[in-house]
Formats: sequence, structure tokens, C-alpha cells
Amino acid sequence: MDSATPFAHASEAEMARILDFYEVRWEYEPHTFPILWNLDGAVVESFSPDFYLPDLDLYLEMTTLRQKLVRKKNRKLRRLRELYPSINIKLFYARDFRALMLKYGKLALVDGLSGSSGQVAAPYAAAGVLDDAEAEPDTRRAASPLAAATIGTGRRRRVRAAATTPSVEPEAPAR
Amino acid sequence: MTARAVDLHEDIAEILLTEEQIATRVAELGARISADYQGRPLTLVSVLKGSLPFMADLMRAIDLPLRIDLMEVSSYGGATTESSGLVRILKDLSASIAGEDVLIVEDIIDTGLTLNYLIRYLRGKNPATLRICTLLDKPARRLVEIPVDYIGFEIPDQFVIGYGLDYGEVYRNLRFVGVLKPEVYGAAMEPGEAVEA
Repeated sequence: MDSATPFAHASEAEMARILDFYEVRWEYEPHTFPILWNLDGAVVESFSPDFYLPDLDLYLEMTTLRQKLVRKKNRKLRRLRELYPSINIKLFYARDFRALMLKYGKLALVDGLSGSSGQVAAPYAAAGVLDDAEAEPDTRRAASPLAAATIGTGRRRRVRAAATTPSVEPEAPAR
Repeated sequence: MTARAVDLHEDIAEILLTEEQIATRVAELGARISADYQGRPLTLVSVLKGSLPFMADLMRAIDLPLRIDLMEVSSYGGATTESSGLVRILKDLSASIAGEDVLIVEDIIDTGLTLNYLIRYLRGKNPATLRICTLLDKPARRLVEIPVDYIGFEIPDQFVIGYGLDYGEVYRNLRFVGVLKPEVYGAAMEPGEAVEA
């Protein structure tokens, strides 16, 4: 994982590490989808899914907000699916992230995240991880009316290349 | 994780699948696989460690000329993953599968990340066919959509142990599949709406 990628949240950085581990290529916020326009045709609301996995043609949106606080994000996701029905997107809730961390024996990481606002855990804050996008997802806007006509390009883009040949190493695993 | 005494049975919140249910379903899967391959030789590839009990029972329920092989893949977050940051094959196949009919035998499929990696790896070894059999399928957790040919049980989104599945390498020897009490792993899962997947 490129440490320069400015993830908005620690859970996103962890997800990127997991995808890297399993050699799944990913892009971080590569596309912005307008989902609401005003009467003048200007985009007033848009949605930038956190990850795009090109090999799977799958968008992944993560939220560590508590379930009762994800209504706004659910609404945006429904709107996105209405407007762009061909898009394959999955929403990863806080409980999904907890389950993933439990599976990988990293549940302690969850304790470092705020369940209400998704604040950045200390190790990630030190690494330059941002802290605002999860708490206020609606602040992400398409830059101009032009964006209403096309799918925008995210401000932070990178592609992770997958290794083609797995290495072989005779060690015992830890689950 | 805080050290605590393990009580194999007291730590179980609920028995999800009894020994009898598992045995019945494994026999059904074995019969289906036998019918589908119609006498052709088959290689079963078991993914260690969780699939061992399932593999042992399934292979005896299949009426075909069988070869078996074992693979082990490192898991994210494990002690062996920190140096490279990449998944590794900890134990590779012991024989070639080129031109063979191969069936991957898994204990559980949830995100599909490990299986996705394994399929890519095994396809590179040019088997004639490559299919997947899993005892448990947890579709609510799926990230990578993978067509699964044989599914024992579709299970709800709960942390399960037993019949090969572990938590901290314990509980694998239980004869049933159970749900672990949240207090055992120290953090209750937050109740919430159904997962969108």
C-alpha cells in the first residue's frame, strides 16, 4: 500500500491493506457520481464510493458510523442505484468491518475508531490519514455543472498492481 | 486478546448445525458429486486447516476414484503476514493437477478473498476443470462474487466455530457448528440492519 494515499478514515486504510494482501487491485475514490441537481442543472449532491476494484468491476463504500446514523448514506446509495443501475456497489457497515477484524484477529483496531463519527485512530492520524469525510459525507460535491453530464474523476486516484505469482513459504499461519 | 479459560461447551451461544445435520448434508453432497463426475477420477484439494473434518467426511461420501491434496494459505493479520504484506502459499500441492478434474474443498466462504486468490493460483496449474465445494456459505459477507458449485449450508451472519472452524485455534474439534458467545472474543457485535450485499 502506498503510504501517500490520503485515506479519509482508518478503516479505509485497513481495507486497502486487506485488498493488497489478497492481491485485489483497487483505486481510491476514482469516480464521483452526481446524484442531485438543482433547477439550473447544477450538481448539488454527489457520491464518491471509497474504492473501485477494477478486476471485479465493484465499488465499495465503507462506513464506520453506528447503524442508526447511516440513514443518510443509505439514502445516497439508493439514489445512486436508481440513477446508475449498472453500477455494482456494496456498502460495508460498521458491523461488517468489526466482523472482518474479528476474523483476522484485529478487533483491537476497532476500539481505536469512534463509532459515532469515525475518528481516526492514533496510528493512522500520525500517518497522515484524514478525519473529516466519514463524519460529513455530504460535503463531497461535484466541482461544476459539467460534472452533471459525466461521471467525474476522483481527486485521489491510484491503482494497486497485483503480483502475478504468489510466493511459497513453509510457515504455520495464524488466524 | 485477554487470556481466559476456554470452555468448549460453555462458550457456545447456540448450536447452529448438529452433528446429525452435518452428516446428512455431507452424504447428500457426496452423492451429488459422485453423480456429477460419473466415474471420472477427481482430485479434492482441501484448504487447511478448517476444512479438514469436512474433507475427511466428504471424501468417504464420494464414490469415485479420488486423489486428495492439501493446501495452506496465510491469512491476513496472522503472525506470518507482517513481513511481506502479501498472501502466501504456506503449503503447496504435492502433485500436479494439470489436466485433472479438481474440486476445492472449503470449510466456509465469507468475503471470498482467500478463495478468489486460490482460484487464480490453481487455474495457473491448468486443471481440466476447477469447481468449488464449501460446507458453509455466508453470503452476507461476500466481497468477491464467486460461483460455488456445492454448498452445504447457507448460514446467517454470525461468528461460527466447530467442525474445523476455530477461534484462536480452539474449538476445531467440536462435532457441531456453533455460534460463539460475543463475550468470548470480547466485543459484542453491534445490532443493526441487514447487510446490503
